Amino acid sequence: MSGEKHPLGIKGLVGRGGLLSGGGGVGGMYVGDWRVFTPKIDYEKCTKCWLCVAYCPEAALSKGEEGPQLDPRFCKGCGVCANECPVKAIEMVRE
Amino acid sequence: MPEVDVMPGNKAVAYGVKLSRVKGIALFPITPQTTIVEYLADFIANGELEAEYIHAEGEHTAMAVAIGLSLSGVRAFTATNSQGLAYMHECVAQAPAYRTPLLMAIANRTLGWFWSIQPDYSDVMPELNLGWMIQFVESNQECLDTVIQLYKIAEDRRVLLPAMLCLDGFYLSYSNERVEIPDQEDVDDFLPPYEPKHAVDPTVSDFAPGAGLPPPLHTTYRRIYEEILNDAKEVIKEVNEDFGKHFGRTYGNGLIEEYRCEDVDAILVTMGSMTTAARRAIDELQADGHRIGLVRVKTMRPFPSEEFRRLAEDVEAIGVVDRMVLHGTGGGGLGADMKSALYSMEDRPLIINFIAGMGGDDISTMDFRKMGERVLKAVERGRVEREVEYIEHPFKPAGRLVPLKEKRVIYPGSGGCTGCGASIILRHVLDVLGPSTVVVDPPNCAGVNYSSVVGVPWILANYAATAGYQTGLYRGYKLKGKADKIHVVSFAGDGGTVDIGLQALSGAAERGESIIWICYDNEAYMNTGIQRSGSTPLYARTTTTPAGRLWRGKRERPKNVPLIMAAHGIPYVATASIAFIPDLRRKVKRAAEITSAGKGLAYIHIQAPCPTGWYYPPEKTVEVARLAVLTGAWPLIEIEEGRVKLNIKPKKLRPIKEYLRLQGRFRHLTDEQIEEIQQWVNESWESWLKLEEMGKLPWYR
Repeated sequence: MSGEKHPLGIKGLVGRGGLLSGGGGVGGMYVGDWRVFTPKIDYEKCTKCWLCVAYCPEAALSKGEEGPQLDPRFCKGCGVCANECPVKAIEMVRE
Repeated sequence: MPEVDVMPGNKAVAYGVKLSRVKGIALFPITPQTTIVEYLADFIANGELEAEYIHAEGEHTAMAVAIGLSLSGVRAFTATNSQGLAYMHECVAQAPAYRTPLLMAIANRTLGWFWSIQPDYSDVMPELNLGWMIQFVESNQECLDTVIQLYKIAEDRRVLLPAMLCLDGFYLSYSNERVEIPDQEDVDDFLPPYEPKHAVDPTVSDFAPGAGLPPPLHTTYRRIYEEILNDAKEVIKEVNEDFGKHFGRTYGNGLIEEYRCEDVDAILVTMGSMTTAARRAIDELQADGHRIGLVRVKTMRPFPSEEFRRLAEDVEAIGVVDRMVLHGTGGGGLGADMKSALYSMEDRPLIINFIAGMGGDDISTMDFRKMGERVLKAVERGRVEREVEYIEHPFKPAGRLVPLKEKRVIYPGSGGCTGCGASIILRHVLDVLGPSTVVVDPPNCAGVNYSSVVGVPWILANYAATAGYQTGLYRGYKLKGKADKIHVVSFAGDGGTVDIGLQALSGAAERGESIIWICYDNEAYMNTGIQRSGSTPLYARTTTTPAGRLWRGKRERPKNVPLIMAAHGIPYVATASIAFIPDLRRKVKRAAEITSAGKGLAYIHIQAPCPTGWYYPPEKTVEVARLAVLTGAWPLIEIEEGRVKLNIKPKKLRPIKEYLRLQGRFRHLTDEQIEEIQQWVNESWESWLKLEEMGKLPWYR
């Protein structure tokens, strides 16, 4: 394939972002369309223990002002957060 | 009447092996070969095939086992490709000298260099010239038939050499076609039982094949092997013809297959599954009035030189399509063989060598048409413009990337399974270690799915060699005075740790390399599709330890690798669980402190529940991990400088049943089996308690 970029100007050297090596570096894939159920967070019940953030396999949940913030672009809908929430503040609902 | 079914190439190979009544099967999983041995496991588990089935801990061993089986005098089979084939290379080279007529199926896949799981013939290339017979097939029916034929050829007393059956990965291995399954009696009639007169069996004779030769005999023996391989050509043709009489199918003359080669000025030469598309291109070209035919190389070794010399008499030009590049020669392997076969002819045809389909790139009918036209043009002009032509296609990236502004050590949006336990581990490990980290990773599902979302360097290591890559990097940083500033950490699975990776890991531990080893243990080879590992628990069902009429899951207890690592006297050994994140993070931090201080290797073994392979709903990932700890199935231990500590000690362990019943991989268990697992868990728990009581393991200073 002509026109490929050579990192460090070395012909034939492939840099980051490969399938199996290099490390991606700039972001993630859009995986929001994998989801069937989506976490619905009840901020009234939430005690900000942040277990859901710690356990989220995709890091789609982050710490926010009123509780966990979901980035729906990265949530695959696994339901670990809802299953682990000690006060049942997260419910998985069909989209 | 033969049965007819629709099946992938790998299943057709497995049927061939079953019908050949193979007695010994050695295996190690690798995509796209794996399902061959999975189908065979199913046959054996259900009593349809009686054979020893040996789960090797790496391909080097798999080949050695196959040779050992064959030396003992039984019909043996193994299968691999690509990296696995390269890893067993040394043993592959040994087999011809021992005259072991074993069969190895190769579901072709490119050999790294750059990785792909898709096919080209760079994996077989280094094995071509070792004295094996090597055949390439075009269809799934041919997969099945060639297994049977190759045993007959290999075991012929004029030959007695090992054989490789090459089927294109994915194009054949995983694609379904109509396949006729011959009757067992007919196969028995065609292929008699293997009864070698030269088996190593001291109850019969004291014969053993020698491995060494004095230098003056080497040249002589090379000549003799060339004669044997040359004689094998006749045997291949005979067996192919005989097969036709028995089953009504032949493949050319066994060496090559000609397609519409009457009255042509030129031919295209192909191998393997690409031939089917080439046939359509030839049909089109002939329909347009062009005089070009097609020849498929079925037998690559011994190379059918005579056949091609005969064909070359009648054509002006030959286009050789190669899925194999001999770097540094400017061309491909089949092209080079063709040129050397035809060089002695006085009136040689023109040759164009096409390089196409590398790394599994599809070669379409359109591509073959273009190649055909190039060859015809050479005929017209009486000369070749370029001797080697590359058939290249543009790359179109798939998937939507979401760029994030904030720089992170790991980003969301991976390709990993929903509810992946390993993902939770990787995110916390990298979060603790920070940006000054190099991840060294053997091939595993983490590499496939997470390397692209990791913001620190991620180096793919060869499967058995992770700790070697780590050692080199660590020593390099040491030379540069940066060893205390960079964490060199592995992210190996259980296969890469307890099986194929153990030798290099043990070496690094003994040498005192200050590197961190993280094993994410999902208790089977999940990347290749749930095959048993040395870490798979007792009686768990995997695709190579299925639950069937005769088999009830894995029969062996897993290795206690944390204790094996502690036996090296390394400064830090720990196990961890995703259900106890603060404990996990503290352990990773401790490991980093120890290695940064240059004290030696730190080893952390973390259970990674896998919804895909353990068959539980994805939301249960953390729950399963928690139950593993609370039932004692996954004790959380820490051994710092020899002092053993059980980090979580429930007053009373919960019954193992609570952990097992959540997972489909244990659904087949009988009450007796559950009781036996409970016993094993109790024994293991008691052992850790006793070790903790000792205060310090006695071999630590």
